[in-house]
Amino acid sequence: MIVAALSLAGIFVALYLLLYKLGLIGALSCSVGSCETVNSSRWATFLGLPVAGWGVAWYVGMFVLALVSTGEKFAQSSLISLILLLVAATGLVFSLYLTYIELFRIHAICQWCVVSAILVTIIFLVSVSEYRERKAGSEY
Amino acid sequence: MAGNTNRKRNVVRKSNTRPTGFYYVIGAIAVIGASILGYTLLRKPAPIVGTEVKYDPATSGPAQGYTIGKADAPVEIVEFADFECPGCGQFAAVTEPDVRKRLIEPGLARMTFYDFPLPQHKNSQGAHNAAACAGDQNKFWEMHDRLFGTQDQWNTQATDNPKPFFQKYAADIGLNATLWEQCYDSRKHQGRILANVHEGERRQVGSTPTFIIGGKLYPGALPYDVLKAIVDSATQKPAAQ
Repeated sequence: MIVAALSLAGIFVALYLLLYKLGLIGALSCSVGSCETVNSSRWATFLGLPVAGWGVAWYVGMFVLALVSTGEKFAQSSLISLILLLVAATGLVFSLYLTYIELFRIHAICQWCVVSAILVTIIFLVSVSEYRERKAGSEY
Repeated sequence: MAGNTNRKRNVVRKSNTRPTGFYYVIGAIAVIGASILGYTLLRKPAPIVGTEVKYDPATSGPAQGYTIGKADAPVEIVEFADFECPGCGQFAAVTEPDVRKRLIEPGLARMTFYDFPLPQHKNSQGAHNAAACAGDQNKFWEMHDRLFGTQDQWNTQATDNPKPFFQKYAADIGLNATLWEQCYDSRKHQGRILANVHEGERRQVGSTPTFIIGGKLYPGALPYDVLKAIVDSATQKPAAQ
């Protein structure tokens, strides 16, 4: 549940960054700001798509998974929470990579990216505890 | 894991089902998120009003722009731009042809370009040098148009080494390749470019493109109609550059 709520919040953060990247928010201009620097760097695209777009897709995936996992059908399934945990771990690794790039390659920090990194970290931690809880539950 | 399905069904643990509060929380996040995003997207842009910028002409450095148009045109459109900035590229591709045809060629205005490469655009310094070196052979504007038209080929996302691209454009517009390369490699015009950046900072330019018309500062890629209206109103007053 917490994962679903945080993922939904994450969808909006990533969507904002994506729209910003696509030039749909704010005047069409370039300025010296950390988000500008990060979002216009070479690392702002991954496999040909904007990183923010991957973010939106990941959060939507997490949101759907989290909803499914809290649904009645899967309420006790530890398999779904394992899937959730693995997807969350992928997000965490990618987030760590992006934060590393920001700190040591671009030398600039975009506050919205930090918000996203914090969300991903909490989502991961909650997923771990949920998985352990369900696993323990299924072993009775 | 799967063997205990029946047992698990019987042990309904509250933490794994959805209490009504859950829907409220999800609903609240959705509504708040969508409203903030919607507001940001649909917000009407503030009307474009120039800012009066006061600066001391006595502190003017050795800045030197590139001017196109008739020297006696009543209004000067000053542009501070970065060759790698997508906003500037958009202006150059979409609006500038109209500006040249309808304002500059008839002598209603002249336009002066000042370099304002931003630090996050790693290949921009090179691009500004490439254009300045084309200027040595009187083809600054040809290179200007070429660079803006090909941004995605040589920008920071595309390459670490933009020089071969600039070299190709130099050849395409008919420059003497040897002279151009000597100029580019020696960064002959770096001082002028820096002076232009300082001139922009002195005039409180903080983003690109930024226009200064009739002594007022207009940040952002202005559409033609807005630019024309500003030029018209500046024409009625004595030029206050």
